[in-house]
Amino acid sequence: MRPVAIVGIDCRFPGAPDTAAYWDMLMRSGDGVDKVPRQRWDARDFHSRAGAEGHSNTTEGGFISDPDAFDNEFFTVSPREAAAMDPQQRLLLQCAWRAVEDAGVAPQKLAGTDTGVFVGIMGNEWAHLHMTDYAKVTAQLGSGNGYCMTANRISYHLDLKGPSLAVDTACSSSLVAVHLACNALLAGECDTAIAAGVNVALTPALGIFYTQAGLSAPDGRCKPFSADADGIGRGEGVGAVVLRRLEDAIADGQPVYAVIRGTAVNQDGRSNGITAPNRWSQQEVLAAAYRRAGVDPSEVTFTEAHGTGTVLGDMIEIKALGHLHSGRSGRPLALGSVKGNIGHTEGAAGIAGLIKVALSLHHKTVPASRFAAKENPALKLAKQGIRLLKAPLRLRSGPAIGGLSSFGMGGTNAHAVLESAPPYAARPEERDPESGHTGRTTGASGLGAGVFTLTAPSTAALRRNLLVQADALERRRVPAGPLCWSSNRTKTGHRYRFALPAKDTGELAATLREAAGDDDLLARLVGNATGKPQVGLLFTGQGSQYPGMTARLYLQSPLYRRFLNEADEALAPHLGGSVRDLLLSGDEAVHRTGWTQPALFAVEYALAASLTELGVPPALLLGHSVGEYAAAVLAEVFPLEQAARLIAARGALMERLPEGGGMLAVRAPLSELAELVDAEPLVGVGAVNGPRATVLSGDLAALERIDETLGRQGVRTRRLEVSHAFHSPLMEPMLDTFAAIADETGGGVPKLPVYSTVRGRLLEAEPMDAKYWTEHISAPVLFGDAMNRLLEAGPTHLVEVGPRPVLTGMARALRSAAGAGVHSVAPVAGEEADGSTFAEALAELFRSGLDPRWDAVYPQEERQPQRLAPYAFSDAHRFWTRSTVRAAPADLSVVPDHADTASAHPRDETAAHGHGAVLTAVLPSAAEDTAVDPVTRAVIEAVAEVGGYATDEVSRLSLLYEDLGFDSVMIMELKDRLQERLDGLDTISVQDLLPRLSSVGDLVDYLQDRAGSAVA
Amino acid sequence: MQSEHSPQHDSAPPGAVSYLASVGTALPGDPVDNAALARTLGVNEEWIDVFIGTRTRHFARDLETGEVRWSLADLCARAAEQALTASGLAPHEIDFVVMGTATPDHLMPATVNHVVDQLGLDQIPTYQLQSGCAGAVQALQLGHTLVTGGGHKAGLVIGGDVCSKHLDLDRDLSSAAPSDLVNYVLFGDGAGAAVVTSTPRGERLALRTVLNRFTGLGREPGQVIDWFGLADRHEDRQAVREDYKAIEESVPTMAVEILWELLEELDWTPEDVDFLLPPQLSGRMTRRITDGLGLPDAVEVSCVADTGNNGNALPFLQLEALLGKIGQGQRALAVAVESSKWIKSGFALEKI
Repeated sequence: MRPVAIVGIDCRFPGAPDTAAYWDMLMRSGDGVDKVPRQRWDARDFHSRAGAEGHSNTTEGGFISDPDAFDNEFFTVSPREAAAMDPQQRLLLQCAWRAVEDAGVAPQKLAGTDTGVFVGIMGNEWAHLHMTDYAKVTAQLGSGNGYCMTANRISYHLDLKGPSLAVDTACSSSLVAVHLACNALLAGECDTAIAAGVNVALTPALGIFYTQAGLSAPDGRCKPFSADADGIGRGEGVGAVVLRRLEDAIADGQPVYAVIRGTAVNQDGRSNGITAPNRWSQQEVLAAAYRRAGVDPSEVTFTEAHGTGTVLGDMIEIKALGHLHSGRSGRPLALGSVKGNIGHTEGAAGIAGLIKVALSLHHKTVPASRFAAKENPALKLAKQGIRLLKAPLRLRSGPAIGGLSSFGMGGTNAHAVLESAPPYAARPEERDPESGHTGRTTGASGLGAGVFTLTAPSTAALRRNLLVQADALERRRVPAGPLCWSSNRTKTGHRYRFALPAKDTGELAATLREAAGDDDLLARLVGNATGKPQVGLLFTGQGSQYPGMTARLYLQSPLYRRFLNEADEALAPHLGGSVRDLLLSGDEAVHRTGWTQPALFAVEYALAASLTELGVPPALLLGHSVGEYAAAVLAEVFPLEQAARLIAARGALMERLPEGGGMLAVRAPLSELAELVDAEPLVGVGAVNGPRATVLSGDLAALERIDETLGRQGVRTRRLEVSHAFHSPLMEPMLDTFAAIADETGGGVPKLPVYSTVRGRLLEAEPMDAKYWTEHISAPVLFGDAMNRLLEAGPTHLVEVGPRPVLTGMARALRSAAGAGVHSVAPVAGEEADGSTFAEALAELFRSGLDPRWDAVYPQEERQPQRLAPYAFSDAHRFWTRSTVRAAPADLSVVPDHADTASAHPRDETAAHGHGAVLTAVLPSAAEDTAVDPVTRAVIEAVAEVGGYATDEVSRLSLLYEDLGFDSVMIMELKDRLQERLDGLDTISVQDLLPRLSSVGDLVDYLQDRAGSAVA
Repeated sequence: MQSEHSPQHDSAPPGAVSYLASVGTALPGDPVDNAALARTLGVNEEWIDVFIGTRTRHFARDLETGEVRWSLADLCARAAEQALTASGLAPHEIDFVVMGTATPDHLMPATVNHVVDQLGLDQIPTYQLQSGCAGAVQALQLGHTLVTGGGHKAGLVIGGDVCSKHLDLDRDLSSAAPSDLVNYVLFGDGAGAAVVTSTPRGERLALRTVLNRFTGLGREPGQVIDWFGLADRHEDRQAVREDYKAIEESVPTMAVEILWELLEELDWTPEDVDFLLPPQLSGRMTRRITDGLGLPDAVEVSCVADTGNNGNALPFLQLEALLGKIGQGQRALAVAVESSKWIKSGFALEKI
């Protein structure tokens, strides 16, 4: 058999609400077994120590917490439908979702795929309680019940199109489901499979059955292979694993918990009774699994046994294992069973064992088996080549093999052989460019900061999950880069999109926690996008440059560095120097136009290329003056090399022009200035940035004259710090030389929408050629017109592609009502900007609905999957339509009375035999007690006094430790108070009292006995 | 935890062996019984008997006057001197000194150096391990390593604790919660030491294996002893805190696992164990743990009911009691759990 990888896990078992807690409990040899919760059934009603007919011999079992909680809003299931669903369906749905997330996959990404769902289940108690009340059977109840729907619901809600089925082979169900899932994967029926198991106990029926069959442990605990083993204790659970073919998991870089090497399923056939375990079939299924896995029994280091803790079952299982292992070389097979911790989880037993084995191989430690220290000598384990796991077993660092058995009551046996994950499993091999992208993707990547993302269907869900992530990060440090990358891959797809740039995990955790509690902060970090953003890229012009611009970003971001270096290399032959060196050294020469123009070009080219690489689609482009050069390269007007040559020439030619020119910004419309400009032949209109923002350019003396005139008119003006009068008649002397070079560099029609500041509008199939670029030198920059046209196209975001935000500010002034909702984004916010600033810009676009190409944000070494805490579902909504199951007819309104009617014949009989005993078990209320009995009254008063309760808060049923919070000091005091109140009593010692202190009733009974014997 | 590739099937004997040549102990002053403690602290005597099960303990601080009469260094030096004398080794044969404690006299210099100074030793390596109940075993492990593979022939291993810094005699405890109270009645002061050698000398107790393992990943500490400096000495936080529920739940289970790991490591059966040195939490807890270990044939060697829980001194006090009982060819297992960050520890001895 080809290997199958377990890539995702989620589970909930008694005493363990999630996978981490499950492992923790196993390592602590914890006990998940407790009293039957009152929500299920009233255990006292059905309890008989002797196991009388119709009764169970135990009041304990392994019950999961919160079986009634279901986040119906998350799955958009109406409360009515949710209430009609078997809780097993509800639990599985949430569990499957979390398992997929644990596999590092956003569940939405599986939508539409051939992913298969295989569920093992053997209990249908919800149907017993609900489908028998025929008058109340609704459409919702119909789809809320049935084994098939457990699997089908997962397929439906996750939109999975592969095989989807439920399996019932009794207690081996979920391991058989895993077997079928592996086969489906290996047969190519699906590329991902979810295998799961579930078991929720809603009625005492099976416990009564076990008792009547002589299989039920009185303490409700399985004690596998122990000398104390005396039967089964029922357990609940839900667990799901995500399976892939190992080669696929490795190719996709998914972390692997463990590998399934081989599985086998067989049947007892016509054996010694349909429910009796069969040694020969068990050893055959073991041998078959070993054969399929290609392992020798002695290679198997440990095995998770079925281990129900019945004397016969344990004996047969050991004999079957012994048949294959008694002759093994090396150390004996280490054996244990999780049933000692959580009970026999029936339909979920196989998945409980599988998850335990997978985690053991993952953590390289096999937990000790509870109750193993006192092994059953009759099993003669040593002779069988077996030893029990009396202490945790540390596995060697190489590959280790573990087995797993699961046997069904009807004779269907299953065994699986697992192996530790190959060491390379988590590391994706270096792959060629991702499909659909050019060779560039193989180049350096990384912004210098990550972006942690989290999405949720509501802000309340977001807050809850932010806290869950904060808790998880605070518990264990994970490097921020891989963490963020993993969050980008798995925590996407919901409407509310949270994004936060992060460099340090500790700071990230603190901010996540802060955001969860601070509405203003949260509002800044969350977007509620309905569509994809439409991005306008604004390329900044001269005047925005400064020494050392983008140097921090360059040093931190390999991605930006790559593209700036590209531009630098393209420019260098034409400059006689390096733009990169100029920027990194913080050279003031950047203000000389011969450097300014190529430097801005390089920065803008590198920013735009980085944005493209990050998956920001440039919908609309606009460049202010020299900004148009980088925009043109992005629009594929000409290649980088040609643009570099032309911009270098442009800068150099302008620098060579005589100084003495200048520019004057005027707060007035162009029309009001026309007369003044016409009067000065050496002055032209440099730029029209808006309806009342005009820049005049030309001879300094002439500008001075205009300025004086305007000053007298009260018009506000400002001198711009420029070396030359750009876009003015003073440019005339360079035009011929420039045009000659431009002829050589050429230029075509832009392939993206370019809003030309030469034309003041969108270029329509017009080339940006030599003629255009020559005209561009002296023509006014019609930014206002071009920007207005761009805004009319309806961008959602304006991204400033330049060393500081300039154009986005000018655009804001132009915005009409229509453009009011446009957001400004600045990847480089100013001189302090670094990788985090750029990451914040990307985060903002993500919040607005963009799905960036996240891989580009992180260097290769950070693109390592980290398992994040899975989605935390809301437990605010509870669905448990029936109240506690009671013995009929003590509470006829609760037990499905129609069902009783339907099977009316035994009813009288039941009443005749059983009810007397049952009714006495229902205790009278505390109030009645106090009225009649002085001892009870004294005890309740004493307990109330010591505990600080009102007497009506204390009843016979109150548990001193659990309900009333008594501690040992309070017990001492209680003893004194009782002694005072019951003066007829001999001196009581604490030693006498201690064993009688479980409930107030117990204490009363004891003291009444003592009082009675004292009187006698 | 067992190791998958245990050395037991190798032809060579399991692991290298060192030897304990002698043991010395030191308990400060006269034993303080529950009646005296009840008088001084206003605690219920019966409560101590029933819930703690410790009869007496020793304090380095005078219970009446509050005066500190012995430092940790004093007690450790006394125990070490006793061990050295009993070993028959000359002081110059001591190649190193290792000491484990949770309650050093100072953060600096490490108390071990004051001890060595008092013993008149010089020019040797010293080590101090900051640890709770497992510190003595950790010190033994380091000593074992140094004489079996570290090029040394003999060394002193010391453990001791003095809780008087946190024994606030001015407090009125009549209304204190059990979790607070227990800190006053559980603990005691003391020190112990052993001479570890590379070849059998003195008592000729072969140290077959030593277990020392952190198992507290992701777990809240079961026990915290805080310390205070100039900046935070006025903060109102409890200096000693325990999670007794977690301790009661976990320690018995961990003890069983330690026992079985040692047995399997050495390929010993439970019947091979003649003496058991169980964890010494309190009289009552130790009884419970010992019952759970399921070695009915082994003689229990405990001291806590008489000495109180004096931390790193306990294994040495148990060893001292063992020396009077163990005969040639007999075997002993010691199990200790440090519930602070859940450290499993233990060791196995055989008198040759």
